[in-house]
Amino acid sequence: MAIHKGRGFAAINYPIGMNLGGDPAQALVHSTPDGKFMVALSAIDLGQGMKSVTRQIAAETIGVPVEDVYVDTADSDTGPHDMGSFASRGTHRVGNAVIRAAAEARKQLLEAAAEELEVNASDLDTDGRGNIHVKGAPGRSITVMETSQAAQFKQGRTLAGRGIFLIPLSGTDPDTGEMTPVSCFAHAALVIDLEVDDETGEVEVTQINSAYEVGRALNPRLVEQQLIGGAWMGVSHALYETTEPYYPDRSHGPVDFNHYVMPGPGQIVPHHIAVLERPAEDAPFGGKGPGEMCANPVLPAVANAVYNAVGVRCDTLPITPEKILRGLRANGGARPQGRR
Amino acid sequence: MLTVETYANMAEAAGAVGDRARYLGGGTLVMQGVNYGDQSFDRVVRCREVDRDIRSESGGIRIGAGATMADILASHEVEFLHQVARRIGGPAIRNMATVGGNLFAQNPYGDLTTALLALDAQVLRIGSGPEPIESFLSGRSRPRGLVEAVVVPRVSSGEFRFAKVSRVKPKGASTLCLAVWLRGGGRPSDPRIAWGNMGPTPLRAKAAERALNGASLDEAGIAPVLAVATDGLDPQDDALASAWYRREVAAVHLKRLLLRQGVR
Amino acid sequence: MARTALTFTLNDAEAAVFVDPGANLIDVLRRGVGDLSPKQGCAQGSCGACTVLIDGVPHLACLTLAETVEGRRVETSGGLADGPDLHPLQKAFMEGFAAQCGFCTAGMLMAARALLDRVPNPSREEVIEAISGNLCRCTGYEPIVDAILAAAQEMQGNRRMMR
Repeated sequence: MAIHKGRGFAAINYPIGMNLGGDPAQALVHSTPDGKFMVALSAIDLGQGMKSVTRQIAAETIGVPVEDVYVDTADSDTGPHDMGSFASRGTHRVGNAVIRAAAEARKQLLEAAAEELEVNASDLDTDGRGNIHVKGAPGRSITVMETSQAAQFKQGRTLAGRGIFLIPLSGTDPDTGEMTPVSCFAHAALVIDLEVDDETGEVEVTQINSAYEVGRALNPRLVEQQLIGGAWMGVSHALYETTEPYYPDRSHGPVDFNHYVMPGPGQIVPHHIAVLERPAEDAPFGGKGPGEMCANPVLPAVANAVYNAVGVRCDTLPITPEKILRGLRANGGARPQGRR
Repeated sequence: MLTVETYANMAEAAGAVGDRARYLGGGTLVMQGVNYGDQSFDRVVRCREVDRDIRSESGGIRIGAGATMADILASHEVEFLHQVARRIGGPAIRNMATVGGNLFAQNPYGDLTTALLALDAQVLRIGSGPEPIESFLSGRSRPRGLVEAVVVPRVSSGEFRFAKVSRVKPKGASTLCLAVWLRGGGRPSDPRIAWGNMGPTPLRAKAAERALNGASLDEAGIAPVLAVATDGLDPQDDALASAWYRREVAAVHLKRLLLRQGVR
Repeated sequence: MARTALTFTLNDAEAAVFVDPGANLIDVLRRGVGDLSPKQGCAQGSCGACTVLIDGVPHLACLTLAETVEGRRVETSGGLADGPDLHPLQKAFMEGFAAQCGFCTAGMLMAARALLDRVPNPSREEVIEAISGNLCRCTGYEPIVDAILAAAQEMQGNRRMMR
């Protein structure tokens, strides 16, 4: 028996949003009588942090505490249209729509406050703690709640905003094929270390090292959470998961989560992440969003690491012990490629 | 339409079990069928009196059919089975799944039954005498009454070994599992080797057992055992592994268990 | 269809409900008595989302015939918080970003609660074993394991302060 160590590398440029654009996101913002702000979306938060990040973006743009902003989403009957949570587009597309809607709401907030303070709206600023004051004269101020109530009950004015963000659909030049597929890329590089058992074909990943460039990390803990969980899913796709284990033969599909295998908590491996922040010009506060690319580079890196360990090149997923063992048999044994 | 019948004792429950009825033990097998509308039964039979006792008797150790995997782990009498029970399910499943139910678990489940087969266990059914587990397993697809207990010999931990090969750690279904009873000290005398997931039910590898009889437990001594490791076995393809893969790696895992090299 | 009257203790309160033949506990908790805290995932016993404690030990509510909990004590994650005060496990999950979609969280919390009731100062391996029947699709498990260890420390600190 021999255990062979292998190391594999992969890099990714990941386009943010739908290929060729044409995928709008919308947001509506309005104030409530108690001086809070409600952001209505249709973009779904399925755990990736959409609600947290759009809440931060709205609070930052309006100039109020994050606690005073609520995000209401997931109901396409009550929220404005959105293309959906896919293509790593949430932070970028929806965030930009929220900025536009929140900026309009802020403008109206300051106009309502200006009327109460009898000053020019352009002389006003927010302190991010729930107050609006005259620039250079913090004593002359009014709370956001008072402003909101005055607007609604005295001035008869809404503090609201509408936002849409659309990268227009790129045409394709019929002669040259030239097009603009995407306006914003995120980038990553990832190294997988693993071990292959040359008698059973079993693989255990031992370490992951990665560097992700995701623009500004708007919520660093959420970014880290996405990258760690996403890498786990990448390992799972690379080595374990399939609905058709004998594809193209469709028999013996898994019938439950004991047959649909995924690595368990006993297979947690150290994952060292470097997040590189290069704020993107057209992204909300520079944030691109890690999304799908947290899983994608893991797959080729694992395939490369298996090849590095035992010289077996698997080009179908998942890379099961059986595929590796058949490769070892075909090669007449392990052919470690060594470290370069 | 499903009905649930609750009886005061096992004798009454045994009388009620029959066509289109399932006996509910820990629920881990029967309730799946209930939840998914299994049409092969419409009566669920249960009993208020559950035998979870694990106790020494003259013929060995009697384990009530209602004993759970957690009960096994809590019993000093069957310390040699702890290595098996610990590898079955997560904690919740171990609190529910029973010894009686495990006897009927289809692949890839039934790790404990594989261990019981290697231990020459006897299966006791209500109203009939003890039956060797091997013959019980070969006839288990035919309903033949309610199991009340199994009896296993008293075995020291050192002479009973178990390995479960699963891709998911620490808890996953078996790609295969194997149990070896090395009767005697250094050189096994009349040993048992049982495999799980290497056939329609747990199976003994009798050619390998014969080769292991009196062999020394080192590379050279077990070589003849490994050569016939899968003789008489009948592995199948499933979502976890192919029959080919199971055959290819079975001897590797048997070698590692006999030489105590561990499972990765 | 004959329904069975069922009474049990749910998070220290009496629950009484009529159940259909064959009804499982997760259905009865969610639809019968309105405790939506435990989730139904697979209904096959392979995901752990429905993990509840019965008489203090973890069980899968989806594979528990509801009428078998007659007179017994059932605990769900809905009973973890003390009024507005979250349980240390809930706090640790929140602070440690141990949930994303949140579907596994209720089951994870109860699996962890059962462990900490029995082993107040668990090793990392014991935590991993305790949640081994609970699937998580989002986190890669590490934040969950870390959160349970953090909660154990917090609870030990609380106990020391009370002495």
